[in-house]
Amino acid sequence: MSASPLLEVRDLRTHFFTRAGVVKAVEGVSFSLEKGEILGLVGESGSGKSVTGFSLIGLVDPPGRIASGSIKFEGRELVGLPPAEMRALRGKRIAMVFQDPAATLNPVLSIGQQMTLAVQAHGRASDAAARDLAARTLTRVGIPDAAARLDAYPHEFSGGMRQRVAIATALLHGPDLIIADEPTTALDVSIQAQILAEMKSLAKETGTALVWISHDLATVSSLADRVLVMYAGRIVEAGAVGETLRAPRHPYTRGLLDSLPAMARPGEKLNQIPGTTPSLLSLPPGCPFAPRCPRADAVCATDPPDVVTASRLVRCHHPLEAA
Amino acid sequence: MNQILVAEGVTKRFSPSLSLGDRIAGVLGAHVDKRAVHAVTDVSLSVTAGETLGLVGESGCGKSTLGRMLAGIMPPTEGRVLVSGTAPMRGRHKATTRIQTVFQDPFASLNPRMRIGDSIAEGPVTHGLTSRADAPRMVADWLARVGLDPAFAARFPHQFSGGQRQRVAIARALAMQPDVLVCDEPVASLDVSIQAQILNLFLDLRRDLGLTCLFISHDLSVVRHVSDRVAIMYLGRIVEAGSAAKVYASPRHPYTQGLLDSVPKLRLSIDDVADFKPIAGELPSPLSPPSGCAFHPRCPKATALCRAERPALTAREDGTLVACHHA
Repeated sequence: MSASPLLEVRDLRTHFFTRAGVVKAVEGVSFSLEKGEILGLVGESGSGKSVTGFSLIGLVDPPGRIASGSIKFEGRELVGLPPAEMRALRGKRIAMVFQDPAATLNPVLSIGQQMTLAVQAHGRASDAAARDLAARTLTRVGIPDAAARLDAYPHEFSGGMRQRVAIATALLHGPDLIIADEPTTALDVSIQAQILAEMKSLAKETGTALVWISHDLATVSSLADRVLVMYAGRIVEAGAVGETLRAPRHPYTRGLLDSLPAMARPGEKLNQIPGTTPSLLSLPPGCPFAPRCPRADAVCATDPPDVVTASRLVRCHHPLEAA
Repeated sequence: MNQILVAEGVTKRFSPSLSLGDRIAGVLGAHVDKRAVHAVTDVSLSVTAGETLGLVGESGCGKSTLGRMLAGIMPPTEGRVLVSGTAPMRGRHKATTRIQTVFQDPFASLNPRMRIGDSIAEGPVTHGLTSRADAPRMVADWLARVGLDPAFAARFPHQFSGGQRQRVAIARALAMQPDVLVCDEPVASLDVSIQAQILNLFLDLRRDLGLTCLFISHDLSVVRHVSDRVAIMYLGRIVEAGSAAKVYASPRHPYTQGLLDSVPKLRLSIDDVADFKPIAGELPSPLSPPSGCAFHPRCPKATALCRAERPALTAREDGTLVACHHA
């Protein structure tokens, strides 16, 4: 490991200032990422995992903004960076892949036109050179006959192929970091498996670090090196992916795993987490998971738990025994 | 055994509706594209009383269309459906209350301007299963059974979370006292922890009411969890069907094998190497299905025979039905 990590996030707080009140979507998130590392960011809806991703690439829209904290990319502070400088990084050094490729691709431009624009946005390149780079990148993500497909429009591609185009666009400039927000959620399992296999080998080959945001523990476990589990805007557990999922120490991580049908015998009742995710507008003063937690007591209701760090980060007053 | 739900040679084709210009052009001898989408082709299946049949496949395989025909929402182009011994449709209209459906998106299936108590009571009152005077008590009873506060009857759908809305949709379907419940992706849009709650509710109600179910989903682990038997669909046809335990433990059809291999597994240790064995290629268009076996362009075992001749769905020694020349 190098002295300074590729990405270092310290005490990030991204809040949305709505008329109903301040929604603390991300509340004190810290983590770091090395070159070539794949980090899985797991949580349910409203856990803040996507907002964390958007914060990293400077795409939080009003009424939301980064209230405090620091995001250092290769030692350079991104919070408060002038928009022009952020634009120079975005798409070149840090790229993003979204869940719905139909919404990210421009429907009235051919694939070749929009990829050429993406190439020329970050440096001089002739149209021919840009198209050539686009075709080579499309080939790398498994699109057959890429040069001919450049003239096709997004609607002529299937969902899986469109997501490959989106991934290829993210790869154009050989970024150091790709943030992928639920990139395979909308795809069928057989197509998802193809894309996961390609992402894994691409990260290996190019040394690109990957933040993989997903609600699917199984996908993350087969792809990521490390996992961060988020709940109500906070990281509740973080560690090496195999170790963390084999022997989770936070009751929420345990509950998420037990909710999976794959973890139970067919037809048996699943060990469900009671209740629902709390509203981010009115979080309890103590641990936000306490109302749903089987291990919660009086302390949990009043005092927010501190982070316990050994090899694993756990934010809990009563963590489960280490394996 | 008591076959509650039966489909015999059910086929659904969606033909393009031709514009006036196209029809004139056709009469004048010009080429008009009249290719129909073969959504479901020649499917036969039966579900016995108290059993849950899981229907699995990827998008576009025809599982929802088949579910709609079985539920009496859509008439088949060919073949027939029997629910408790009678056809569920008369002409284009549903003619039975014996089969009810829970859909994926409860927000789309509940009337946003109706209080959910009225939504639940509407069907039973209309069909004389409950008197208007008894309706509030019946609604309170069903809300309690699906784990909601009976006082919620006066609320509107937007006042509920996704999981709660799905509970309301289940209560509404069961208030009709059906013999068969069709669940079309009932947990696909829910978070993992909420999905577990709804699956548990489903398992409880099924046991308490002795329900017969058709459970449609793309999620293989969810289907495995709730089903006694499963049927795997590919491009409008069943390619493999049998007991869930047998099909999942030793899939025979190369498509079933590929599908099960594609599901990401929870990798719980470093030694547990994650290897992906994705199925090559993509789903062919149902407008022009491949010749012979529809899976042959993507199949590692395909031979000339597969390209020429479609394999029939035949029973193997352990009772599993498989449509493959080489399995």
